[in-house]
Amino acid sequence: MRNVLVGVSMLAGVASQALISPALADVQIGILMPKTGFGAGFGAEEQGSIDLFMSKFADLGPAGKLKLTIYDTRGEPAQAISLTRKLIDTDNVLAILGPYFSGESEAAFPVANRAATPIVTPSSAKPGIAAANRPWAFRNASTTDKTDAALVAHWLKRQATPIRKVVIFYDGKDAVSSSDGKAVMPAVLKANGIDVVDSISFQTGDVDFSAQVTRAKALGADGIVVTALFTEAGHLTRELRRQGMQQPILAGVELSLDHKFIETAGEAAAEGVLTGADFNRDSPRPSVVAFVKEYQERVGQLPGNSSALMYDALFLMRHCIMTTGVTGSSAADKTKIRDCWANLKDVDAPIAGPSSIDANGDATHAPNFLVVKGGKFVVDR
Amino acid sequence: MILLQQIINGVMLGSTYALVAIGYSLIFGVLRLLHFAHGEVFMVGAFIALCSVWFLNAGPVLAVICAAIGCAALGVVIEFVAFRPVRRRSGGMLAPIVSSLGVGLLLQEVATNIFGADQTRFPPQFEATVYHFGSLFVTSTQLFILGTSFGLMLLVHLFISKTKYGLAMRAVAENVDVAGLLGINSNAVVVLTFAVASALGGVAGVLVGFAFSAISPFMGISMTIKGLVVMLIGGLGNVYGAMIGGLVLGIAEVLTVGYLASSYRDAFSFALLIVVLLVRPQGLFSGGLRAGH
Repeated sequence: MRNVLVGVSMLAGVASQALISPALADVQIGILMPKTGFGAGFGAEEQGSIDLFMSKFADLGPAGKLKLTIYDTRGEPAQAISLTRKLIDTDNVLAILGPYFSGESEAAFPVANRAATPIVTPSSAKPGIAAANRPWAFRNASTTDKTDAALVAHWLKRQATPIRKVVIFYDGKDAVSSSDGKAVMPAVLKANGIDVVDSISFQTGDVDFSAQVTRAKALGADGIVVTALFTEAGHLTRELRRQGMQQPILAGVELSLDHKFIETAGEAAAEGVLTGADFNRDSPRPSVVAFVKEYQERVGQLPGNSSALMYDALFLMRHCIMTTGVTGSSAADKTKIRDCWANLKDVDAPIAGPSSIDANGDATHAPNFLVVKGGKFVVDR
Repeated sequence: MILLQQIINGVMLGSTYALVAIGYSLIFGVLRLLHFAHGEVFMVGAFIALCSVWFLNAGPVLAVICAAIGCAALGVVIEFVAFRPVRRRSGGMLAPIVSSLGVGLLLQEVATNIFGADQTRFPPQFEATVYHFGSLFVTSTQLFILGTSFGLMLLVHLFISKTKYGLAMRAVAENVDVAGLLGINSNAVVVLTFAVASALGGVAGVLVGFAFSAISPFMGISMTIKGLVVMLIGGLGNVYGAMIGGLVLGIAEVLTVGYLASSYRDAFSFALLIVVLLVRPQGLFSGGLRAGH
């Protein structure tokens, strides 16, 4: 009975919207993010930024108000596909922000591209996903092929004893971790003259890493590279230290600077792990300081990497709506938004600063290097 | 040396599988019925232990005892609410299975609402001490797990083979009607079976929580499937088969990950299951609770 009522009220909502919307000419933007499932933590960080942003910038001037339709993908590619369709066909959005994960973006981008609707992921980092879906797909996150070279160079530079042999651990089930651990990282390491002695996989959701670590122990590696989401990376780091592997650890950008990595690994085990991220919470940039303060006041928690990425993505989307004369009722609106993203050059986003999109549809900003010290991520110079 | 360490890793993993599968087997042996919410009982055990640590400041032993008692009670409630009414009304296999699936989902949702969907863990004082023997290592948690699981397996063996209640359980497993004619209260035996099986499942949940410091409302899902595989490998309803089957599966999984790749782990486990079913369709140990005692 309750379902029927919800259905009826939804129908009523759609009907009234259809009647009113031409007059108001608000701008409808869809958002896809993981609110439940294993990525729920990322979704919560994004939601904090959405609340903060909408409290400040919902007004678009002559174009009316910014209206968001938010759907939960649960981190699943199949959901991302059907919700992208729903946003475009039923909700008539002008553009989509999301989805979060690379696996989801790989699945959802072709749908939006075929429907000629701009889609911008704030986070996915697997190389080539936007390039394969020109001209409508973009992302405001730097891809691993751009970040890894800088990250590895920085990691090697900070070691007291040089690293010559590395063992890679990667999550074979997560799209970006898998491509990073199997292709991108090995190429970068090889370019630095480092021998990759073994690549050992695990699966998203694993909690027992004893077999993988025991296998790695005998290989005589002097460095460890981990490409995995924060939970699995945390369990792996804990097991590495427990089995006595004390080699320096480099964790890829997949970690997304999530503090739960340190909780899961334990402070002692996580100490000294180096990682890269788009966001540096302790940056002295005034706009970052203001963002951290306002976010904390509004949400009651410190913003994470995913909060920062979503905030910038919303900022740039609003920039594209306001500077190109999008009205919310014109057929050319989608094209205007697309062309704005495609030609984005040095637009001053609040967190990342000057933001540009390259010919592949990817962002170009450089990563920050962060190291775990005393249970916190701090900038490593 | 590496192989030996991997086998130790496998025994650790396998002993928790065995505890889950023993509970499964007890219920299947007595009732001829698959209890698909058993994995969720396992999950609830971990959360009960976590609460006992939070609110009663319990140590590992007390946490295990709390989980055992709590889950035994939960098992009895499940029998009264989800199995007995269904069993009484329909003679078929299907209704109780569906009913137990429902209980499983219910427990998952309740746990998600109370504790959230994220992984939680025991506080750091439960962190293991690591003992190194040359290039081999074991942790205090692992020894605790090993001791608890093998101790419980021995207790279950003694219970089934030496006590009056164990004898009654075997009689009911043999034939409910005949057992009733002989003066055994079969309903009481079923309740007892659920209590014992659920207590074992709950303890396994705590041990997994200790070992991998990962407790989540969804940790029971894969356990339900693994427990089923173990039971089929060991022989349907055979408690000793479940013990051996658990260890076999644990070692097989660890060796697959250690020498092949993690993506083959489940494929290999199920291949093992198919081979066992082809070569020995009754499982490694046949006859269930009815024979072999």
